[in-house]
Amino acid sequence: MTPKNILKYAYYPGCSLHASAGEYDLSTRELFKKLNIGLTEVPDWFCCGATPAHNVDELLSLSLCAKNLELAEQVDGDLAVACAACFSRLKTTQHVLGENAVKRKQVEKAIDAPVPLSGNVKHLLDILARDLGLERLEQAVAKPLSGLKVACYYGCLLTRPNDVPNLDCVEAPTIMEDVLKAVGAETVAWSHRLECCGANFTLSRPGVVIQLSHAILDSAKAAGADCIMVACPLCHGNLDIRQKEIEGVYNALYAMPVFYITQLVGLAAGLGADKLGLDALIVNPMPLLKEKGLV
Amino acid sequence: MKKKKMLLSAETMDISFVRKVEALSGTSVRRCFQCGKCSAGCPMATFMEHPPNRVVRLLQLGQWRRILEGRSIWYCASCETCSTRCPNKVHLASIMDALRKLSWDAEGPSKESYVQLANKLFLQNIRTYGRQYEMRLAAVFNVKSGQFLKDLMLGPKLITKGKLKVFHQKNKNMTEIEKIFSRIEAMRENGEAL
Repeated sequence: MTPKNILKYAYYPGCSLHASAGEYDLSTRELFKKLNIGLTEVPDWFCCGATPAHNVDELLSLSLCAKNLELAEQVDGDLAVACAACFSRLKTTQHVLGENAVKRKQVEKAIDAPVPLSGNVKHLLDILARDLGLERLEQAVAKPLSGLKVACYYGCLLTRPNDVPNLDCVEAPTIMEDVLKAVGAETVAWSHRLECCGANFTLSRPGVVIQLSHAILDSAKAAGADCIMVACPLCHGNLDIRQKEIEGVYNALYAMPVFYITQLVGLAAGLGADKLGLDALIVNPMPLLKEKGLV
Repeated sequence: MKKKKMLLSAETMDISFVRKVEALSGTSVRRCFQCGKCSAGCPMATFMEHPPNRVVRLLQLGQWRRILEGRSIWYCASCETCSTRCPNKVHLASIMDALRKLSWDAEGPSKESYVQLANKLFLQNIRTYGRQYEMRLAAVFNVKSGQFLKDLMLGPKLITKGKLKVFHQKNKNMTEIEKIFSRIEAMRENGEAL
C-alpha cells in the first residue's frame, strides 16, 4: 500500500481537454503539481465514445471504455478523470461489465483482452475532497476566495445514474460546495444545480442548448451568484461560449464567468492567472476577480 | 401532431421488437406503472412529441413504430434523470439507447436527421483519428447539414482563445482502434452480438 501522504494517479484527460477545454487540462496539471499529487497521463488513450457512441451502439461504447481501462493499467494508481462525461462512461462500463457476463464476453472479444474491473475510476472532485481531504486542502490555501459567491453546477453526469457507485448523493450532492467552502468561497443555494445544459445538442440543435442553459444562467443570477463553477468541458462550453448568444436571444445581461473547479481551487492555492488559463475563458473573469481582490 | 387511431390486436402489437429492446437495454418495460416521474423531470420533454413515460407505454402496447417515426428518441439528452428517479427501476436511459440503436441499424424513418448526422460524424472521427477533433466535427457538420453559417461568429473567438485547434490530435496507435471497430462488425455479421 502506498503511504497515505503520497498520492499518484493515472490521468485520463479526454478529448476536450486536449482541444476546446485546454484551460481545464492546464489548471488541473498545475493545481495537482502544487498539491503534490502525481498525475501520469495514460499513454495513447482513445476517445471514450461519449454520448454519441452509447446513443446508437452500446457495444462500441463499452469496448472503447474497456480499452481505455486496459491502457490505464500500465500506469500506477487509480484512474483520475477530469471530464464528467468520460467519468460517467468509464464508471458505467465497469459497472455494466461487472454485472453482465454476456456483454463482458463480447467486449473482451472486441478488445481482445480481459477487462480490468477492479481499478478505481475517480473524478478530480473525489480526489480533492476525499483522497487529499478537505483538511489538507484547507491547509494548502494561500489566498482564500472570501467574498466570492459561487453557484456550483453539477450537471447531469457527475452523480448519475444511482445504480452505479457514485461520486455523491444523486439528488442532493454537496461535494462541490464542500471543496469550495474549504478554500474560503461562499456558495449559493440555487435551483438548477442538477439540470441539463443541453449537452451535445450544441452541435446538432443549438436551440435546445440556448433554452436549457438560459434557465441555468437565470437561476444562478437570481440566487445572487457572482460566477458559476463546473467540472465538465461540455457544460462549460454551453454556459460560457454560448452565453453571449443566450443574452442576445433572451435580451438579458449575465456577464457571469464560468470557471472550472481546478481554476478556482488553483486560485486559492496561490497559482497565477497564467497557470490557470483564465485568459481562455470567453466571459472575461478579470473584472470580477479584481473587484474581489483575487488577482 | 395528427392523432392516428390506435387499434390494439395481435396484428398491430409487435411484441418481438419490444423483447429485443428489453434484451439490449437489460431492463423491463413491463415494470412501468405510468407514474410519470420520468417525464416530470425530463429536461427535453418539451421538445418531444412522445414524452418518456409515453414512450414506455407505447412499447408496452407494442406500438414501437410510432416511436421510431418521431423524433423523441433523438431528442433525449442522455442526462439519466429518468433512470435515476424511476420508482420501479426501469432504466429508461438504456431503453432510449436501445431504441436509437435499433432505429439507427434499420436506417429508420425518423424525422430527426441533424442529431443522427452529428452522431455519425462523431463516430467516424473516432474511427479515423482515435480521438475527437472538434473543429473538423463542427465544420463537416455545417457542410453536410447545409448550415454553412451556423455558429460562424463563434469561430474567430474560439481560435484566438486557443479553443479550436487547426492541427488536431491523433492517436498514435490507430491500428488498435480499427481492430475494435472491425471485430465488432465481424461479431455482428456472425450473429454473436446484437
